[in-house]
Amino acid sequence: MLLAGINFPPISDVLNWRSILFSGTPFALNKVGLITLAATVITLLLFFAAGRQAKLVPSGVQNFVESIVDFIHNSIVVDVMGPDGLAWAPYLTGLFFFIFISNIFEVIPFIQMPATARMSVPAPLALIVWVTFITVGIKAQGAGHYFKNAVIPPGVPGPLLVLLIPLEILSNFIVRPFALAVRLFGNLLAGHLLLLTFAVISEAMFVKSVGLVVLPLPFAMLTALTGYEIFVSALQAFIFTILSALYISEAMKATH
Amino acid sequence: MNTVIFAATAASSSGSSNPILPATGEIIWSVLSFALLLVVLGKWAYPPVKKMMADRADKIRGDLDAADLARAEAQRTLEEYREQLAQARREATRILDEARQTGEALRADLLAKAEEDAANVRARNEEALRVDRQRVIAELRGEVGSLALELAEKIIDAEVDRAASQALIDTFISEIGATQA
Repeated sequence: MLLAGINFPPISDVLNWRSILFSGTPFALNKVGLITLAATVITLLLFFAAGRQAKLVPSGVQNFVESIVDFIHNSIVVDVMGPDGLAWAPYLTGLFFFIFISNIFEVIPFIQMPATARMSVPAPLALIVWVTFITVGIKAQGAGHYFKNAVIPPGVPGPLLVLLIPLEILSNFIVRPFALAVRLFGNLLAGHLLLLTFAVISEAMFVKSVGLVVLPLPFAMLTALTGYEIFVSALQAFIFTILSALYISEAMKATH
Repeated sequence: MNTVIFAATAASSSGSSNPILPATGEIIWSVLSFALLLVVLGKWAYPPVKKMMADRADKIRGDLDAADLARAEAQRTLEEYREQLAQARREATRILDEARQTGEALRADLLAKAEEDAANVRARNEEALRVDRQRVIAELRGEVGSLALELAEKIIDAEVDRAASQALIDTFISEIGATQA
């Protein structure tokens, strides 16, 4: 039977990585930790390279970095936050680069693991954004005003507030960070498992000579999905960043 | 043969094997990485890139402004030239008109003078003719008088008092003149 050759690894085998350094301590460094470190190092290298070039007419790395910086500046910071949000541009740019590079390792040969497919990456990021927008809100409006504006929708009659205040608290302070983290995590985990599935099927077809006839099918799927996952990597990084911008921007404004 | 391309070496040693739950080490490293990224990016890596872009935007804006100024300047110069050209044309037309008027006036003047001259000449001629005629008439009168006297002397063959008869003769001739005139 053809399917007999297909041997899916247990899911923990493709998600839980052995630690390379400091094993046994809380600082256990494994593949996921290395990928997040790489995301930081690559982002910084890109920016330093772009900053060192600093040519009037950009080319190469400078052009690449500047176009993304420009995109985040225009499509996220200015469009969502307005001119007041310009101070947040470095923060959001860092967020975007960090998530995107962590994501894109999903399709980088021999690494093929999105760091964001582990809850260890999206959850702290969402938590950082959560703390950020609450801090911004308290700083901009004062704690009393901020929480009042955040949970009491304007122009709602008293009795309804009983119903709405819990809902607003739930949606603004609990669902937001949770959704941010789960959206990123779920998309990348699903993508990772999809690629894994078709890679395993392709491999099994290749190994079993009889399967060579149908090998093109899963392999074509694998190729198409790899392209799709590149798109998803960028899209999810963009969504996470633009939502963070939106939350911070909302917290900055005094009115609801 | 159950080789997996991903060569994922399972490690149950690092945290739980639940695929959803995060592992402590991963959390620490991802937070450290991200914090490091934010600090270095915000302090050293981002500003030069942004500054370069802002400088470029400024330069482009400046260049555009300069180009606008230059264009406005060129436009103004063009307007000036056009104005000057129109003025020159108007001037030329004016000079031509003036010349034409002067010519016209000069012609009329000359014509008038010529007519006057002709009238003068005619008047002088008439005057000369009149004087001549009077002279001829006066001469003729004298001639006719003496002729008639001689004739009468011869006819009456007598010595007549010349002075007395002269008055008679003058009267006679005057009468002739009056009838002739």
